[in-house]
Amino acid sequence: MIASASYTVIFYLLAALAVLLSLAVVNAWKLLRAAIALMGVLSMSAGLYVMLDASFLAGVQVLVYVGGIVVLIVFAVMLTRSAELLQDNPAPLRKILGAIASLAFLAATVGVFRSSPFLLSAEKAPLRDNTTLIGEKLLDYGAGGYVLPFEIISLLLLIAIIGGIVVARKTEPQGQPFTTGGDEAGEAEFRPPFTQEEHEDELELVEK
Amino acid sequence: MNSAPHIIQIALGAASSWQVKTVSERAADALSSNIWESIAYMAVALAAVGLLITFLGLSLIYVERKLAAHFQCRLGPMRVGPHGIFQTLADTIKLLVKEDIIPQEADKPMHLLAPFLCLAVPVLILGVVPYSPMTQIADVNIGVLFVTAVGGFGVMGILLGGWSSNNKWSMLGAMRAGAQIISYEVSATLALLVVVLFAGTMSLAGIVESQQQGWWIWRAHGVGIVAFIVYVIASTAEINRTPFDIPEGESELTAGFHTEYSGLRFSFFFLAEFINMFVVAALTSTLFLGGWMPFHIGEWEAFNGVMDLVPPGVWFVGKSSFIIFVIMWFRWTFPRLRVDQLMHLEWKVLLPIGLINLLAAALLVLRHLYFFPAA
Repeated sequence: MIASASYTVIFYLLAALAVLLSLAVVNAWKLLRAAIALMGVLSMSAGLYVMLDASFLAGVQVLVYVGGIVVLIVFAVMLTRSAELLQDNPAPLRKILGAIASLAFLAATVGVFRSSPFLLSAEKAPLRDNTTLIGEKLLDYGAGGYVLPFEIISLLLLIAIIGGIVVARKTEPQGQPFTTGGDEAGEAEFRPPFTQEEHEDELELVEK
Repeated sequence: MNSAPHIIQIALGAASSWQVKTVSERAADALSSNIWESIAYMAVALAAVGLLITFLGLSLIYVERKLAAHFQCRLGPMRVGPHGIFQTLADTIKLLVKEDIIPQEADKPMHLLAPFLCLAVPVLILGVVPYSPMTQIADVNIGVLFVTAVGGFGVMGILLGGWSSNNKWSMLGAMRAGAQIISYEVSATLALLVVVLFAGTMSLAGIVESQQQGWWIWRAHGVGIVAFIVYVIASTAEINRTPFDIPEGESELTAGFHTEYSGLRFSFFFLAEFINMFVVAALTSTLFLGGWMPFHIGEWEAFNGVMDLVPPGVWFVGKSSFIIFVIMWFRWTFPRLRVDQLMHLEWKVLLPIGLINLLAAALLVLRHLYFFPAA
């Protein structure tokens, strides 16, 4: 009795916080505050996963979204100095279009939820240690196994990693002034076009 | 409480299995019969974590100062109390009564939130660490994943603290910390996965129990020791300790991300650093050195019986203290790394070693090529 009551209380607490924080994400004036509120929303949904006994999913949610994506957003905000760029006022047409889009999405969501039958199982919490089950399913090449999608996703991630390296690779400086060859070996031999001594010589010439 | 026969059984060297019962299990058992007992368990758990944090903060700072002094042939704090043992207490009181300054141009809510985020991470992890068979607050079955995932909030705390201070040193420190922690998290996780492979579980209590025959650091045919070394290096970098302390390098950035913090909020960052050190030591001993499990060698009953006479809690504290000593030892042995050296070490040295090590570990587990494989 008490257990189920506390379960309900915790659920509504998490749900209310998730809604409030989502509102904060879209209403924050500073981009970084929106990112922090987003972190809160994602943590709340991780909490909901825990309540559904999907603790592995909750862990991955926090690991990937909070530790990865939100940190990436914060990095982007910090590096681009775009923290206060949100203060412009959008045009009326964009406001109307945004309202129509969000209302349409709301209608679609409500419609889907009302029309679909939810098949709740009578058994309570059938999957306890679901981490093992997930692992077995992912590497199962029999019927009902997911080894092919798993391998395709691995390939996709590998392509993304290689792409990232190619994009971030250091390119040769082609005769640009005031750049060193980078922090690679051979930097010591690289001679910038303008040394301190030459600079001083030039200054002396100018003074004369 | 049927612990008395259990202890006798251990003393006879016949301990075949340890009974692990966490505080949260006790609370859950009591919930159906007596709610006050359940609430009492939760209150005890909260109070215990609070006391542990206080004790760790006071003692580790004192130990750090004393060790630093002795490494440099000094005496260290000597005035307040015998051998200066009340020095940290005096410093804490000083920090608590200091004025709490927030810079005028700072983003105030974010500035206030950052220290809490930083301190929340080690506190959350303290809740899942197995201190002894009877002393563990909760055993989540995704233990290792939980530890890695919760670590993400710590990065956010540091980034937030640096950004909201509106100070270029803080900002630079935060960026360095973010890049460093995210990079070294990869190697640390690869090293943890080696142990998960051998133990076959992610639950921290389960990993400790899997080391009954021997610790993973030596049972795993070389793979264990490599993972141990990679994990110690990577986690030292993750908690921003010397030689990886460029986020707060005094000579370059004043104090890095916490330059603009004072009083209580500064002490939160400070405390978080020291508790993080304990967390790393506790996790290292849990995963690689058997946690509270006494030193056992396979089927040597007499030897194992003698080792069982030392209580599990003492084993845990001893192992964790040793790792803490090693981390403090690093500080007075190695000079600070440059940013490029830091990235070189992670991406070109530790990461390939970690990946090859994980592959080797997978092969060893598949062939059951380790000491005392379970039947």
